[in-house]
Amino acid sequence: MPEHAAPLLRPPRHRVDPRARRWWTLQALLTLSGPMLLTALTMVVLSLLFFPGALPWLGPLLLVVLVLPALGYLLVMPRWRYAVHAWELGSQAVYAAGGWFWQKRRIAPLSRVQTVDTVRGPLQRRYGLATVTVTTASTAGDIKIAGLSDADAEELSLRISEAAQDVPGDAA
Amino acid sequence: MSTPREPGVPGTDPGASVGSGPAAPPGAPFEETPWRRLDPRTLLVHCGWMAAPLGSLALTALATGGRINTEAWITLAAISASFAVLTTLGLIRWARTEFRITLPRRGEGAGGASPTFDVRSGLLTRRLRSVPLHRIRTVDLTATPVHRVLGVTVLRAGTAGSGDGSSELSLEALAVPEAERLRTELLAYADAEAIANDPVVARINWRWLRYAPLTFWVIGGVFVAAGGAYRALDGIGIEAWKLGFVQRAFTEFGASALWLTIPAALVAILALGSVGAVVLYVENWWSYCLEWTDSRTLRVRRGLLTTRAVTIERARLRGVVLREPLLLRAGGGALVRAVAGGLGNREENRKRSGLLPPAPRAEALRVAGGTLRSPFPGSAAPAALTPHPRVALRRRRVRGLLFVVLPGTAVPAGLGAAFTPVLLHCAWIYALITTALSLWLARDAYRNLGHGLDGPYLVARSGTFSRDTVALQRDAVAAWTFSTSPFTRRAGLVTLTAAVAAGDDGYRIPDLPAADAAGFATTAAPGILEEFLVHPGPAPVPEQRSR
Repeated sequence: MPEHAAPLLRPPRHRVDPRARRWWTLQALLTLSGPMLLTALTMVVLSLLFFPGALPWLGPLLLVVLVLPALGYLLVMPRWRYAVHAWELGSQAVYAAGGWFWQKRRIAPLSRVQTVDTVRGPLQRRYGLATVTVTTASTAGDIKIAGLSDADAEELSLRISEAAQDVPGDAA
Repeated sequence: MSTPREPGVPGTDPGASVGSGPAAPPGAPFEETPWRRLDPRTLLVHCGWMAAPLGSLALTALATGGRINTEAWITLAAISASFAVLTTLGLIRWARTEFRITLPRRGEGAGGASPTFDVRSGLLTRRLRSVPLHRIRTVDLTATPVHRVLGVTVLRAGTAGSGDGSSELSLEALAVPEAERLRTELLAYADAEAIANDPVVARINWRWLRYAPLTFWVIGGVFVAAGGAYRALDGIGIEAWKLGFVQRAFTEFGASALWLTIPAALVAILALGSVGAVVLYVENWWSYCLEWTDSRTLRVRRGLLTTRAVTIERARLRGVVLREPLLLRAGGGALVRAVAGGLGNREENRKRSGLLPPAPRAEALRVAGGTLRSPFPGSAAPAALTPHPRVALRRRRVRGLLFVVLPGTAVPAGLGAAFTPVLLHCAWIYALITTALSLWLARDAYRNLGHGLDGPYLVARSGTFSRDTVALQRDAVAAWTFSTSPFTRRAGLVTLTAAVAAGDDGYRIPDLPAADAAGFATTAAPGILEEFLVHPGPAPVPEQRSR
């Protein structure tokens, strides 16, 4: 720790719901890892059927290019995300952290909040999760908190709306 | 070195000359300051035009082996005659142009008389122009390469409402130190408050046209236009490659000496692109005028075929961006954009936020200041922006080597090893050139990084292909974002983004030291993140939310 008392930004207090890990895993499987694994499988089957001679070099190539990245993404991303994603509602501002490889921490004062949206996608509904999006007048100031439990999301959106009304300002 | 400060006709009564403008009447409470003259080297500047014809003549002589035919003799005679005439005219003009600054006499100066800048010129019609110093808004020194070689410069003094050249005084040419001294004298009396209150911030000045070709589009634009023409022809069923004259042109191009035709083609493309850029500049910025229509509304009018007028309400004006694209920066130019809300989406905002076309940097700073109604940070003194840590330089170098040098070298090297050694040579030449270039650009990018606070403004500068200096109102910051990647986290850096409801919405301050970022954000825009700060001590851990 440096001697001078330069303040540091601490992570938000509350983590998202643990079920979010499963949601992210399923999402990864459907969007990226699944297709990559399927492609690899198809190519292996095709080469087995028609070009058996190609397997010695095709196998390792597919392993490195498709299989390992797909599995890595599937296993690493949800855990990493879960370790990073967090949120906090202060008396003056909303604070959220997100991302995994590239991480983002964003703070928007309640006086600037324009709308609070709660979105539940089909996958999220399966796990009882919701995403709360707090919009401001600037698109670079929109805060997205993904992977909250339904109850938390409802409570949070209610509290943000109330707090935003209490704080004077025209949200411009 | 000749001294330019020769007393011209000392003691001549200014009122006696044929004057236009408020010449000082005889007996006015002015000190008799001596008239000063232009630098005699001006005469040499006027000989600059001879370089081209004499050069071509010399080339002809060389090409014909020293034999000079009748035609050349006639050309030479014409050049000599013109030289004689122009030099005589120049000599007369030089001898008859004088200037001075008249100062009110001590003790009597309070009687309403203000110091003036007088210039008199003309052989038969003597013309005296006299401008009160407090009306002078700008004094700029410009020098063409010929001027620079001779160590002289042209001084132009613009008054309120000038810009079209009619109410402008210009002195061609003065020795550089003399010009600098005169500029200081002229601006010492300029009314700073009037500068701030002048409703017209800027008007088009066609001398700025010289900045038009300084864009990357000079070359790219030619290819884009050619591509467009090709597609248009293709659309109506004409295949350009099969046209007879195109094929013939290409055959001849390949057949003749390539070392001559390739540079010639490049020069032709450059010339074509420059002409295109100038035409676009004229179309876009014809009768350009930036003014405060009242105390709350800023208006930009411009355009030749399409006239555009953008009005920006002061309350929605959140700041100003000074953009200096690489080539323009090399030429000492800059352009200005507004950071304003309500100009439409990103594309519309890009088109409508322009406040100043490519223009001299000093002018850009002035316009930026006039828009903010306070001096643009860094216009008075060199901006005291905090530099970023050295790690940022390393990151930029690595980025250049990794994304530019490596792929471009590895691919031809691999192919070359497999097939032909020619590609190997391509690879090492590419590696050598791009390494030097990317290291240089990385250094420039690093040097351009900076951030700071200037009164009510947050100032951030970054970029190398376009160095952008943004001055944002601190109270317009609507949110803060701290972005990191594993690499920046290891380097102890963070990219801070200020969200504003205007312009591009988010303005980045790349690669701040992580330890200072939160402190800077708090100071710049208080009331946003105080409650989420810790002062160094026990590191907090995010706790599991009890459910």
